[in-house]
Amino acid sequence: MTTHLPTATTPAPPRGGSGRALATGALAGVVGGLAFGAAMLQLGLLPSIALLIRAESDAVGFAVHLLVAAFIGAGFGLLVDRHRPAADETLYWGMIYGATWWLLGAMTLLPLLSGQPLGWDAASARELFPALVGHLIYGLVTAGALLLAHDREEPIAIDRASLLRGAVAGLAAAALLGAVGGDAGSGPALSASMADRAAATNWGAALTLGLVAGLGYGALHPRARTGAGPGLIRGLVYGFAWWIVAALTFIPLLAGDELPWTADDAREGFASLPGYILFVGAAVALIHHWLTATGRALFGDDLSIVADEGLGTRGLRASGQGVIAGLVGGGLFTVVMARIGFLSTVADLVGGESVAIGVVVHLLISSVIGVVYGLLFVRRSHDAGSAIGWGVAYGVLWWLLGPLTLLPTLLGDGPQWTVAAATDAYPALIGHIAYGAALGAVFFRLERRRDPWWISRSEAEAARVERASRQLLSSAPGLWALTILIAVTIPILLGGPTP
Amino acid sequence: MTGIEVGEARGATALGAAAVGAVSGGVAGGLLAVLRAIDGLGDGALLPVANRPLESVLHLVAAVGLGAAVGVLFRNGGGGAASTSGGLLAGLLWWMLGPLTLSPLLDGRGPTWSLADASAVFPSLVTALLVGGLGGALFAAVGPQVGRLPWLSRLVAPAVRSEPSRVVVLGGGFGGVATAQRLERRMLAGADLAVSLVSPSNSLLFTPMLAEVAGSALQPHHISAPIRATCPRTRFYRGEVTGIDVDRRLVHIEGTSAPLPYDHLVVALGSVPNYRDLPGLAEHSFTLKSLPDAVAIRNHVIAMLERADAETDATERRRQLTFVVAGGGFAGTETIAELFDLVHNARRYYPHIDPAELRFVLVHSGDRLLPEIGPELADFALQRLRRRGIEFLLGTRVGGASAEAMHLADGERIPTRTLVWTAGNQPHPALGRLPAERNRAGALVVDETLRSTTHPEVWAVGDCAQIPDPLTGGLHPPTAQHALREGKTLGDNIAAAVGGRPPKPFRFTPIGILVALGHRTAVAEIRGLRFSGLAAWVLWRGVYLSKLPGLEKKLRVLIDWTIDLLFPRDIVLAADPDERRIPEPAAPTAPMPPIAPGGRP
Repeated sequence: MTTHLPTATTPAPPRGGSGRALATGALAGVVGGLAFGAAMLQLGLLPSIALLIRAESDAVGFAVHLLVAAFIGAGFGLLVDRHRPAADETLYWGMIYGATWWLLGAMTLLPLLSGQPLGWDAASARELFPALVGHLIYGLVTAGALLLAHDREEPIAIDRASLLRGAVAGLAAAALLGAVGGDAGSGPALSASMADRAAATNWGAALTLGLVAGLGYGALHPRARTGAGPGLIRGLVYGFAWWIVAALTFIPLLAGDELPWTADDAREGFASLPGYILFVGAAVALIHHWLTATGRALFGDDLSIVADEGLGTRGLRASGQGVIAGLVGGGLFTVVMARIGFLSTVADLVGGESVAIGVVVHLLISSVIGVVYGLLFVRRSHDAGSAIGWGVAYGVLWWLLGPLTLLPTLLGDGPQWTVAAATDAYPALIGHIAYGAALGAVFFRLERRRDPWWISRSEAEAARVERASRQLLSSAPGLWALTILIAVTIPILLGGPTP
Repeated sequence: MTGIEVGEARGATALGAAAVGAVSGGVAGGLLAVLRAIDGLGDGALLPVANRPLESVLHLVAAVGLGAAVGVLFRNGGGGAASTSGGLLAGLLWWMLGPLTLSPLLDGRGPTWSLADASAVFPSLVTALLVGGLGGALFAAVGPQVGRLPWLSRLVAPAVRSEPSRVVVLGGGFGGVATAQRLERRMLAGADLAVSLVSPSNSLLFTPMLAEVAGSALQPHHISAPIRATCPRTRFYRGEVTGIDVDRRLVHIEGTSAPLPYDHLVVALGSVPNYRDLPGLAEHSFTLKSLPDAVAIRNHVIAMLERADAETDATERRRQLTFVVAGGGFAGTETIAELFDLVHNARRYYPHIDPAELRFVLVHSGDRLLPEIGPELADFALQRLRRRGIEFLLGTRVGGASAEAMHLADGERIPTRTLVWTAGNQPHPALGRLPAERNRAGALVVDETLRSTTHPEVWAVGDCAQIPDPLTGGLHPPTAQHALREGKTLGDNIAAAVGGRPPKPFRFTPIGILVALGHRTAVAEIRGLRFSGLAAWVLWRGVYLSKLPGLEKKLRVLIDWTIDLLFPRDIVLAADPDERRIPEPAAPTAPMPPIAPGGRP
């Protein structure tokens, strides 16, 4: 018996051979490299690449950059060919692939090969912030090019109904963004380049961006395949991608500004980041999912709706399990909150001051958030790794929603979407991630005790379970890692002292 | 292949994955350490501490641990990309736990998780990400190769499972279902078992509420939970047990072509009414053991009211309006109370029935009602029910029954068309086919671990078992709360026996007793505390609602109870009552007179 040790789902064999995959990937990598290279040219970063061959000119740097881009792109081509992700998953894999090469390439190999010391400290990382943005853009563009170049088993088809749902979701999310995150006088600012524009202009831009982002989401995710919770986490990364593409790239270019890719420039743009993640990303994903699910329930003939055990049974059970898991996670988070002296602030929500009231309020909130997790992520984990992955990503969402948005709003100060607030709330970020990890792990244990869906009961069920696991997993590990990476590093990169 | 194997045999064992992951993490951590040494980078250890030599050791230990965690958590992932991403995630989480939390603790400062501290250990974040990512990639690359090495794969790959131990549970009552549920939990925890359950009914009946179904206060299906839903990991067979071959370890089931083999047999068949060979009882009395029994009683009582309302013969009408229950235990007392409530609640629809003609009688051979509870509460129950008009014939034995009357042992006759028999039970007759030791009543004799004294592969719980109670020196009584606990212990004991561990004795002290008396009244004795009246009734409903299996059923019963508080009881006859017990009158005694304005014919 041959044992495939690390993986349950062995990747399918390459379709066109490794050579073809490498060539296609290299070509896509060149396209991504062109986009990244153009930005590097404007930012004057190409000479640092030329140092690899002991040269200093832009032209040499550009050529070396394209060579490296092709080489890295070939690797991505191989990865996509082996794993055959869906169209939307390819883009997310592209982003995590780009971020990985920022770590491996820009922060490690480039200084080593250039004879420079390793730039692993925070100050050096801040200097390399433009490279991080560039690598993310590179990953996105390379993935997009690969999507167009690759012959797919499932041709990319535009689902008009999904586009319509996306448009509705995008416009609704933009309206929400304007209502929550916009300044009364100037409306929602989508980029630091638009900070001094008239309210009508900002509103128009927000609605346009919402519409485009919604259409994009509808095109990429025609079916609500993996449920509301995973869709929400996907939305977080989708929103972050739009921040990189729109707030840091296209809007400044359209405004005639230089690319604000340095840490100092991006620090000014941070004010728009939570809005992109929460509304352009998470809200669009959630509204689109609900519209899809509602449409399917009301007008569809999908047998899975009839076969479902029902919201009553599933929802009540998930709520109960969510309360328990939320209380365990909340208990862990309480340690962090007590250590940083944040419990009295929480007590202030109900007009109290004492730590005891803070603990009670905190645990109540923890259990409510646990119930929401239960409802969103029921039957969405199939092992401890996936449970912790969904949990920590959900914890990050609540860091943005909680201490940066809802808590200050309920205390009368409005959302605090600033680098300073994010910096101050860094301990709370660690607490939210710890909360999420415990929440996900405990919820998984409780699901496992009852009737673990991922363990099939018969041969007839095995194929369906395997298919569901594969579908759920897809780019999920990349999404989890990217979500935490963004949450952990962005405040350090943008919040620390200027080098 | 059994169900449990299909899903779990997918990836490596946790131990194997941890071993391969640990090696991968160790290699990645070593590489990064060498890289930092070449570069002269002082910072960036996975667990930075002030003592540098110790830091180097801790770095490698942390790398091995991180790799092992990646292996365990992402062994069922989706290939190299997933393992690498999982490694990045694990690296991030380690950075929060190690450099941000443990390092300040080890250095005696205590963690602050502030941005300043996080910035200071940023090099460790890069290291953790690279060790995690690289470790994940190595794990994905090396794992399959390890799996192909025969000598090594034996250590790390899932062992080829032997055939799981087959456990067949006979009976779908409290004891049987509790056993199956416990075995399922053991299976999910890794016990190598395949559980089957055989029962003629495909649902678990919540018997404490059966009297309320007979009283038309609850809908029949609301107090039953499908066994397929309560035991989703158990293979269910609906049918009667027609034979048990203990030599070849086979169970024969009605309607199936092949017998069911077993390694362990759980006998939880419960009990059936024992008519004590009294003449006419089996033919002319109702029992209250199943849903059809309860529905039959309800329909019969309503049918009696329908007939009595039109009956012109006063003697026959009295007979139709006399309701007798034999047995003064829980079931009998609750039944007479519920029938009383049903009839009096429904009589507004029967204008030609004089309330004075209604008669409710409970016959009990003992001197005291409800012998299971203390004398004070039993007396309270007796007085309350007597005050309502229910007659009690205590110290009176039943002599037999006919279609028109119940005969007492002293020769007296109580004319009635309704007799409910709750005065005696006996173990299920299928036990007679088992050659194991049984007591005089026919119950399987088991030791305190619930194992047959003569056949170690046979176990028994519930009403059909004679279970010694070492705490009292007597026997455990045949109650639902005992059966539930026995089932849990039995599940653990079978899992222990399969795993080569000794089974544990069953120990249980009853928590309390609750008896509903209708009319929002009950008596209860819980941990020595006594309750009666409305408080006990609320307690009864709260306790039993919480015990009813399934959220959906709880909700349905709660709705039924609410409706019962606000509306009269339903008297719709959905099916014809059992005509065996309601013979037609021999001949009409007089032509039907016109209905007088006063209501009486």
